[in-house]
Amino acid sequence: MSANAVGLLAILPLCAGLAQVLLVGHRKACRAIGVVSLLGILGLALAGLLTITPSDPSQAAGLLVSQSGDWAAPYGITLAFDSLSGVLIAAASAVALGAYLHSFSSLAYDVERRYFHALVQMLMFGVNLSFLTGDLFNLFVGFEVMLMASYGLVTLGTTRTQMRQAYKYVLLNVLAGSIFLMAAGMVYGMTGTLNLADLARMVAEAEASQKAFAAGAISAEQVQTLPTGFTPLAVLLLMVFALKGGFFPLWFWLPDTYPTLPIGIAGLFGGLLTKVGVYAVARTFPAVFASDGLGGSDRALAWILVVAAAFTMFFAVLGAVSQGRVRRILAVHVISQVGYMVFGLAIALWVPRALAVEGSSMAGLTVAAYAMAGCVFYMVQHMVVKCSLFLCCGIMEMHAGTDKLDNLGGLLKRDTTLAVLFFIAAMSLVGLPPLSGFFGKMVIIQAGWRELWPLSVLGLLTGALTLLSMLKIWSYGFWNPPKAPVVNPPERVRSQGRSAYGGAALLVGLALFLGFGAELVYRVALQAGTQIMDRRPYIEAVLGEQGLDAVRGYELAVEQLETQAEPAVADQAPIEAETERVALSNTPTPALEADPEPRVLPTLSLAENPRGEASP
Amino acid sequence: MTMVLAICVAVVFTASVYLLLSRELKAVAMGVFLLGHAANLCVLAQSGEPVVVGDDGLLASKRPPILGQGESAANPLATLVDPLPQALILTAIVISFGVMAFVLTLLVVTSRAAETLDTHALALLEDVDVATPLSAGERPDEPHPAPEPSAA
Repeated sequence: MSANAVGLLAILPLCAGLAQVLLVGHRKACRAIGVVSLLGILGLALAGLLTITPSDPSQAAGLLVSQSGDWAAPYGITLAFDSLSGVLIAAASAVALGAYLHSFSSLAYDVERRYFHALVQMLMFGVNLSFLTGDLFNLFVGFEVMLMASYGLVTLGTTRTQMRQAYKYVLLNVLAGSIFLMAAGMVYGMTGTLNLADLARMVAEAEASQKAFAAGAISAEQVQTLPTGFTPLAVLLLMVFALKGGFFPLWFWLPDTYPTLPIGIAGLFGGLLTKVGVYAVARTFPAVFASDGLGGSDRALAWILVVAAAFTMFFAVLGAVSQGRVRRILAVHVISQVGYMVFGLAIALWVPRALAVEGSSMAGLTVAAYAMAGCVFYMVQHMVVKCSLFLCCGIMEMHAGTDKLDNLGGLLKRDTTLAVLFFIAAMSLVGLPPLSGFFGKMVIIQAGWRELWPLSVLGLLTGALTLLSMLKIWSYGFWNPPKAPVVNPPERVRSQGRSAYGGAALLVGLALFLGFGAELVYRVALQAGTQIMDRRPYIEAVLGEQGLDAVRGYELAVEQLETQAEPAVADQAPIEAETERVALSNTPTPALEADPEPRVLPTLSLAENPRGEASP
Repeated sequence: MTMVLAICVAVVFTASVYLLLSRELKAVAMGVFLLGHAANLCVLAQSGEPVVVGDDGLLASKRPPILGQGESAANPLATLVDPLPQALILTAIVISFGVMAFVLTLLVVTSRAAETLDTHALALLEDVDVATPLSAGERPDEPHPAPEPSAA
């Protein structure tokens, strides 16, 4: 795929949506356009991933960068397609396809007849734009497009309960949108740029200059600093992203809103929307806002994420166990699972950037990148699994006419297909070994085991409680004898709900693929994790080679100093010899390898304690 | 001048939060409206001082950002307005206009569906909704009683 085809990923759903507006009322035409558009996005995203992923897994993946209108990077609109964007867009379009197919038989006739199709495409437009954009302001625009479409979908049925919950959703998101706009404006006021690569370049230069100053290579006047108030701005942005992502304590709107939606839309939202918030944190924080070793700002942000991860995982799963309706259990679980992703982000910001994974086959794979890869894999698997659970819940409701656990029962005998689909999806969510959830949790918990072991323990406990709540649905819904009269005979559900089964089966099949093909998916996820944590290739791809000139200048200055003062460095060599765990930066330059940077020393002491008994 | 803008942002923001917290949904809609203005003003403040001290020591307003319109050669931004925040605001205005239109529509639909625009009354209504089990015909995810052309 050529770089300029990246724009198609956003334009395709936009055009499809506009066509569906013109064809409103023609259900079959709208359905056909929607399915073709979603398949097209999926195909394009996979083609893009094939283009950028190298055949040798140890090499770094490339980037496809499209500068709109050929305006050079910091001034024009940049669309950047890397492994993270690619894998998320592919997963999002597959999930949307499943939910969309399901809606054909689960959405009321007069709801579907109106603008449902166009709104789904607009939602995909916003989601894809958010995943692709290379600047902060277009991220805001992508968010707003996505939110406008989601406001429409939230209120589609116009029932009283929906209206009531819609205000909570709309007002909170409008508030978050305004804060995002202000924060983006202030980022421009402080730094003079909104391009993420340009911001990353500034931070990289500040870091390199401070390292050079610490090494004594440059004078105090030459040191670059970040503007005052950069970290508070980062916290402001984190709040916005956390609200979209449903992190603790900003998740209260989610369990009230999602259960009121038509089930196909609930599945779409549960799958996609929270991940966009997580994506925004993953994209902006490691590269820009949580810089390495600049006045400890990364530590403050890492603390926020660590606390958020712990509470999001654990409190939400407790909430899920206590619910008595399938929809509410699933909605609260969305939050609890987001906690694992936040955990992955928290590890990536918490551990020293250069700390390497022991015994990894990938050269220079850091713990931070490994945790981020776990986070990316978890995002993908959670999109698929959560959406498929919602879709199964829709079929359960077709059988029983309700989602109250007390009124369900006997579904195992009545509908074995549904039971199999639900069981696979539920066990994937729990993380039973051959299924996808296991591989996501394993990597994140493993990455956090050394430095953040209390969180890892909490993650395992959350997994156990997830199993409990899924077993609750399983035993009440499928195993128990039926408690209420059959609302719809199984034959009728089967004949009228064919596309509902099709959509659910598509996603469950995908979940199985993510479990059994985890190695393949992890190849891409590891590339994505490395790309997120290493800002240099991104800067070079967007700004061109000269983007890193200043950083290289500082490193060269340090290097020259080193070569002059060779004996002084030799004193440090014994320490470095016994610490093979501390790896060097991903793009090692001679300057960094011999960097006697004193701030790295605390991490060296970890190696003296190989069993990881260091108390937190 | 920046101080004046900062105070304006603070006042508009306070008013909007006050309105957002009110019980009447019409006031809440006005709060949404003001919130967009507060954010836009805040972005506007990022383009810096709108006035510049001229050669004669008097205040003069900055010029539009077109080269050849009397910018100072050394630092054009000292006499020209930074256009980017205004471009951002233009986009944001369109978005907040769309959101406003949506919120107003939501008000109309709510008053039809619930026959009240008071949040307290709406909350009471919701309690009734949760307690009543929804009958099968009303659930949107039920197969519709009428045969669906494509599914059947």
